[in-house]
Amino acid sequence: MAEQDQWMIVDRAGAAIDAAEAIAFVSDPGFGGIDVFIGKVRDLNQGRAVLGITYDLFEPLVMAEFERLVGEVRGQFGPRVKLYVAHAKGRLGVGDTAVVVAAGTPHRDEAFKACRALIEAVKHRSPIWKQEHYQDGDSVWSEGCSLCHLAEGAGPASPPPAA
Amino acid sequence: MRQVRVQLFGAFSELDPTREIAVDVAGGRVADLRAALQALLPVRWPAFRAGLLEYSAFSDQQRVLRDDDALPDDGRVAILPPVSGG
Repeated sequence: MAEQDQWMIVDRAGAAIDAAEAIAFVSDPGFGGIDVFIGKVRDLNQGRAVLGITYDLFEPLVMAEFERLVGEVRGQFGPRVKLYVAHAKGRLGVGDTAVVVAAGTPHRDEAFKACRALIEAVKHRSPIWKQEHYQDGDSVWSEGCSLCHLAEGAGPASPPPAA
Repeated sequence: MRQVRVQLFGAFSELDPTREIAVDVAGGRVADLRAALQALLPVRWPAFRAGLLEYSAFSDQQRVLRDDDALPDDGRVAILPPVSGG
């Protein structure tokens, strides 16, 4: 792992993601810009009241993918950049932090762009699944982005039909 | 015919409480595993939305696999439905 970057999975049963840790990690005397994205569990999804979310991760592949994604963003915005990714695992309640991505750079423009590029890549390419738990007792797996396109022809790249 | 152990994630994790199923596959490619699951799912789990398989990828422990890739030597593959992290 490059010293200027850090990525991790945080099991909610043992700890919560700390955004202050992300800010401290990407800080540098030469960096005037830090951008942080914090993703939280919200109380409503498609008009249904949400009690919480369970995140399921394929951990070895998540860590390998985080390393690849950080490397790609570093290749685009580096070398003067520090990057941080933390994603939660397990059951989270409304208001809990699901993901934190942070980027530190000399100026704000690269910080905004690097942080945006990294969170979009994390959301679209990491083998992570969320199951939303609704107030009415129902639980539903959310279906987002197919990874088939990563396998270049392994299957259709279009999103699946609504569940 | 070889047996492949498929690790289950997301919606597929509800197929079996062990989060893993054994699938007999005729052939050594990922596409052969996909075909085996296409045949197996409606029979063994008729209530499951088998169409999800069409949008799901497969991987080993380190990378997403193509359909024409060889199945891993250790016989372990993960099935990855569309992702929804963040």
